[in-house]
Amino acid sequence: MKVMIVEDEMLLAMELESEVEMAGHQVTGLAMSSSQAREQISTSKPDFAFVDIHLMDGPTGIEVGRELAAAGIPYVFVSGNIKKIPGDFAGAIGAIEKPYTMNGMKNALAYVSAIVKGDDSGSPPASLVLAENATARSRFG
Amino acid sequence: MQEKDQHRTDARNAGNRLVAGHVSEDPFAAAFKATRMPMIVTDPNQSDNTIIFCNEAFRKMTGYSDDEIIGRNCRFLQGPDTDRETVSKIREAIVAGQDVAIDILNYRKDGSTFWNAVFISPVRDEAGKIIYFFASQLDFTNVKSREADLAAARHKAEAEVAKHTANLRSALDARTLLVHEVDHRVKNNLLTMASIVKMQARVTRDDGRRKTLMSVLNRIEALSTVQRKLFTLDDVSKFDVSEFTRELVTDLVDTTGRKDIRLSLDLSPLLVPAVKATPLSLIVNELVGDAVRRGLSDGGGDIHVVVRRLNGHFLIRIEDTSEPVEPDIENAELGRMLLEASALQLGAEIERKREGQKAIVEVVLLVGDHQENAN
Repeated sequence: MKVMIVEDEMLLAMELESEVEMAGHQVTGLAMSSSQAREQISTSKPDFAFVDIHLMDGPTGIEVGRELAAAGIPYVFVSGNIKKIPGDFAGAIGAIEKPYTMNGMKNALAYVSAIVKGDDSGSPPASLVLAENATARSRFG
Repeated sequence: MQEKDQHRTDARNAGNRLVAGHVSEDPFAAAFKATRMPMIVTDPNQSDNTIIFCNEAFRKMTGYSDDEIIGRNCRFLQGPDTDRETVSKIREAIVAGQDVAIDILNYRKDGSTFWNAVFISPVRDEAGKIIYFFASQLDFTNVKSREADLAAARHKAEAEVAKHTANLRSALDARTLLVHEVDHRVKNNLLTMASIVKMQARVTRDDGRRKTLMSVLNRIEALSTVQRKLFTLDDVSKFDVSEFTRELVTDLVDTTGRKDIRLSLDLSPLLVPAVKATPLSLIVNELVGDAVRRGLSDGGGDIHVVVRRLNGHFLIRIEDTSEPVEPDIENAELGRMLLEASALQLGAEIERKREGQKAIVEVVLLVGDHQENAN
């Protein structure tokens, strides 16, 4: 699947990019701010996104998330403070809490890529906090 | 001016008539004159209900002389700050011929003010006609000012409390903000450290070096998981070893993707002081990691992890059915050192044994009652 990474820490973003590519996916782009994210949502049409809450222009990740949800693109939050995520999860499948481990990220990526494909037979890994009704969110409309 | 003089003369005459009605030894008249309570008599049959008689106490209270008092209406004691509504109430009572007791702000001759508790009562003749009004006064400025002082003191105290509360609240907000900020930075730094090690492992061409880097990464990530699990409980000074163990073990086994490693967990909440979180987590990480590695090499097996309290102690027990294999010597050496240091720090005992096919490791942590968190 085509993955967009929204993260203001470039080193973390690049490492996550390697991880995503190792798992056999393509990264459509790295966005450090909400405006870069918006641009990439419309130009590169990703299948899925990782979204940090705190970006270069402030805590704008939640808005980015809502726009992804509105565009029908499933995503998960990746954040050091998942308590900041609103109760409705802003339409996200769930959240991965930082600092995630390599194994935690691999398991979460395997799980979400399966449900983005429509296979929700797997059980969610410990590293992924699911929103309620999460699997339905991966198949908008 | 002439008319005013006439009033005064009339009032004086009325007063004289009143006094003439009493012989000089009349004890009531003597008492009236001598009492420390300021008193006056007014005559409603004079024009404007003028004062026809006052005692020494009244002159002393108001600062006016007899000449300045007789022939005037009581209103000459009022001033700019006298409450108009109070004045109206007095007037209404007099018109109605009723008693009235009321507090009024009056002015002395020198312009100073005093709080006057006035009692006015009509005096009637045998036919029931009002012939005089009798009025007694009481200067209660001191009482009033004590009340005001008390109210002011209370107000000041309340303001102080409000100020201190606001200061405390803002200090608490600042502290909370600081804790969040530090927590956020620690988390980001741990992930950055892990990312640097992973990047190095990715670019290295030497398998041995890669193994070493991954071995370091494994321990950094154990600390990352600890940091993530801190501050998640309502009591931020506590850390749940079971919660940590559940995530660590399931992530480790899930990643292998091996169905032949069968995991079973027996975890009850086990809260330890946050300061013990790091060494305890390193111990769990070494023991579980070791079991999974052996399971991997061996071609599968059962891993059973127990975390619970036992007779007031904390017990962590890991059993596996995999065959012992030749370990990665460097990794095993690092693991041994971390286990030893952590156990020493915690005062924990680590016991290894074999029961047939099963390799068993038990970690027992003795805890004092004060450290223990009742479930």
